[in-house]
Amino acid sequence: MASLHPHNGTTTTDSKPIPITESEIRSEFSHHDPTIARINNGSFGCCPATIIAAQNRHQLLFLRQPDHFYFNTLKPSILRTRRLIQTLINADHLDEVSIVDNATTAAAIVLQNTTWSFFTSIFNPGDAALILHYAYGAVKKSVQAYITRAGGHVIEVHLPFPVRSSSDIVFEFQKALHMGKANGRKIRLAVIDHITSMPCVIIPVKELVRMCRDEGVDRIFIDGAHAIGNIDIDVKDIGADFYTSNLHKWLFCPPSAAFLYCKMSDELSNLHHPVVSHEYGNGLAMESAWIGTRDYSAQLVLPEVMEFVERFDGGIEGIMKRNHEKVVEMAEMLVEAWGTELGAPPEMCASLAMVGLPVCLGIKSDGDALRLRKHLRESFKVEVPIYYRAPVEGEVDSIITGYARISHQVYNVVEDYYRFRDAVNKLVKDGFTCALLTK
Amino acid sequence: MDSEDPRSNGDGINHVSKKPKLSSFITESEIREEFSHHSPDVARINNGSFGSCPASIIAAQKGWQLRFLRQPDDFFFNNLQSQILHSRTLIKDIINADHVDEVSIVDNATTAAAIVLQHVGWAFAEGRFHKGDAVVMLHCAFQAVKKSIEAYVTRAGGHVITVHLPFPVSSNEEIVAEFRKGLASAKANGKKVRLAIIDHITSMPCVVIPARELVKICREEGVERVFVDAAHAIGSVHVDVKEIGADFYVSNLHKWFFCPPSVAFLYCRKTPISPDLHHPVVSHEYGNGLAIESAWIGTRDYSSQLVIPQVLEFIKRFEGGIEGIRKRNHDAVVEMAQMLAKAWGTNLGSPPEMCPSMAMIGLPSKLGVFCDDDALKLRTHLRDRFGVEVPIHYQVPRDGEIGSTDGVGCVTGYARISYQVYNTLDDYIRLRNAITQLLHDGVTCQMLQRE
Repeated sequence: MASLHPHNGTTTTDSKPIPITESEIRSEFSHHDPTIARINNGSFGCCPATIIAAQNRHQLLFLRQPDHFYFNTLKPSILRTRRLIQTLINADHLDEVSIVDNATTAAAIVLQNTTWSFFTSIFNPGDAALILHYAYGAVKKSVQAYITRAGGHVIEVHLPFPVRSSSDIVFEFQKALHMGKANGRKIRLAVIDHITSMPCVIIPVKELVRMCRDEGVDRIFIDGAHAIGNIDIDVKDIGADFYTSNLHKWLFCPPSAAFLYCKMSDELSNLHHPVVSHEYGNGLAMESAWIGTRDYSAQLVLPEVMEFVERFDGGIEGIMKRNHEKVVEMAEMLVEAWGTELGAPPEMCASLAMVGLPVCLGIKSDGDALRLRKHLRESFKVEVPIYYRAPVEGEVDSIITGYARISHQVYNVVEDYYRFRDAVNKLVKDGFTCALLTK
Repeated sequence: MDSEDPRSNGDGINHVSKKPKLSSFITESEIREEFSHHSPDVARINNGSFGSCPASIIAAQKGWQLRFLRQPDDFFFNNLQSQILHSRTLIKDIINADHVDEVSIVDNATTAAAIVLQHVGWAFAEGRFHKGDAVVMLHCAFQAVKKSIEAYVTRAGGHVITVHLPFPVSSNEEIVAEFRKGLASAKANGKKVRLAIIDHITSMPCVVIPARELVKICREEGVERVFVDAAHAIGSVHVDVKEIGADFYVSNLHKWFFCPPSVAFLYCRKTPISPDLHHPVVSHEYGNGLAIESAWIGTRDYSSQLVIPQVLEFIKRFEGGIEGIRKRNHDAVVEMAQMLAKAWGTNLGSPPEMCPSMAMIGLPSKLGVFCDDDALKLRTHLRDRFGVEVPIHYQVPRDGEIGSTDGVGCVTGYARISYQVYNTLDDYIRLRNAITQLLHDGVTCQMLQRE
């Protein structure tokens, strides 16, 4: 990822900014509920006070004189954001970068395009889309809404979890790809997560993309919802046709903003935002920059975010590195305390880690996982999502069926994870099981 | 709601304002304060385009935003859905819908159009509609709606029939007659009309359409479904969705109903064969009904959809509530329009009873508004040189028609003035004087630079 120098117009003009202090970080996130151990940055992200203030300024500019804002300010501001993203992700052309609300919207854009291909018989009934079994719920539903409904076939690739190494993933994916192509079926689109959501694992996308190309998959869409601000993204190196990531998860933007990268091709002009405005036909980036009157301010604060991350030692690279190291350290602390295991090795963890929960807690369903999460929130003030990992045939009873997905972002402190450790220890000591929550 | 007179000495006694305080209605000074974030340099007579939001609602919205930022998981799991349901229930009562299921909240009318028209696109693809089946729209439909029709109907093999409505216009009967003619010609060509899209209040040129009558005509003529684009309606005209009788009805709450950008409701009448509408942005809620789908389309800021209770409180501070605001806005905009027309020697584009809280006033022909570009240049010039914000409409003269004249030439340019609670007489005097100044200087649109 390209490193960024402080911009023209930044308040610190002469030398490198003094690194942000612990106390300043606390201040930036003082609007977070102080009673909660907030170890779930992965779900909804976070936004520092400085950025909220910047967003407010943009909002007020619109409210103050909306016509002037619309005619003179909005487009150049979105352009600024797109340019920054282009640099961050190493895209060749600015036209390849569109700003949308979130990865869910990006999925709608890519998948609706596939639907038209079925309608116009460019694709045939039975042609396939390939997704991971762990694909995000919204993506699965989008595939149902736009591909299954249009007559396409859906191939779900089951990946192992817990997982020992990237090669496990590569192996399973290869198998599924071959099986999918059996009987001459054509795979029109592959949707691959860069970092799966639940369970959370870094997927070796570059290799999988290459495999897809070798096997003649038409188009590849990387759902990198968690990726930006978490791991390096080089879209040219990855080589996919489409790539999306949320800016509000790990890149400090307010809810909500995301980019959709679409590699330059003849097809690009066929991609449309589903909400159609007068900009229809002017290219996806232009269409996405105006989808009717709404608050676009979350999309306009990336310049201020870049200034914010430069206040950290090593900028965004430094933040990513420290988050990763810390989350691994905390994860290992937890598994040692509980006598469990990590769901994936450290090199497959970004700023999130899957930590096995004690088997005696009796997590036996998705419902149990959700109820346990609620119990942790209400009784222990710990916010952490729980994943139910169903036993596979032949596995013994002592297998771990519950994993906590812990996150580490700059506002987290060790006490957050100690509280979680102690909460689970208490549950174990009290003989708690999830069955008790359904009574 | 208490409204303390800011001139009170704090001795607990409200000192008298212009008239005896019989109630605690909002004062002029409080209104000014509520809109003090508006640029004071601008004569802001374009509430129609982007609406307006009082300071107390902005503060309420901020409250919701901070609640999410404070503990987003808790907000998502325990608050958001119930709050959106509360908003939907309030809207249902305001618009006289039968079931809360019929009310979905979306970003804006543009999104609602995408929802309805994407459904039409699927109907063509899935063979329920046949190639050549038609969609009827008004010639002056909002540009986003026209493009949505192109994107989802034309592209899917549907035929588009455009009905031209007269402007300037003198009566509802003219509109009704033209619409009947337009529909009849569609049927004459043997087209099956699957959907008619009718504005309740057209945007440019701005006129209140007799929507209820047009919907009835559609039913009589066998139009399968009717979608009323009422983007401007709520807060400016009476809205009763059952009375209007359409299948789909959308209005923006951020235009005339004091909500922050942006929020709209899409009403979908429940029938035994209700069509299967979906939000184009698909989340895990897919298949749970449009209202539920629309209430979660991924992580974003839903706060503008949550302030409706606070908006209703705000409206109650005005005498007569929303009806009072509507009436006073209408009366004021008509008065201002007549003042301007008299000053410029022109006419209104429609009679007062066809004006909502906006009015179209002919611009002096000498300004030479001869195309859309001229209109935009003039609008920009008024903003940059005179600090007046008002949209300008270029009315294409129809074949064989002379249209309106002002004794000097053809009137082809119209200003669309709006009146909302924050407007004052001075705003319109500034517009009056700006135009007078341009005439005095012999300025025409052709002379204005393209910025």
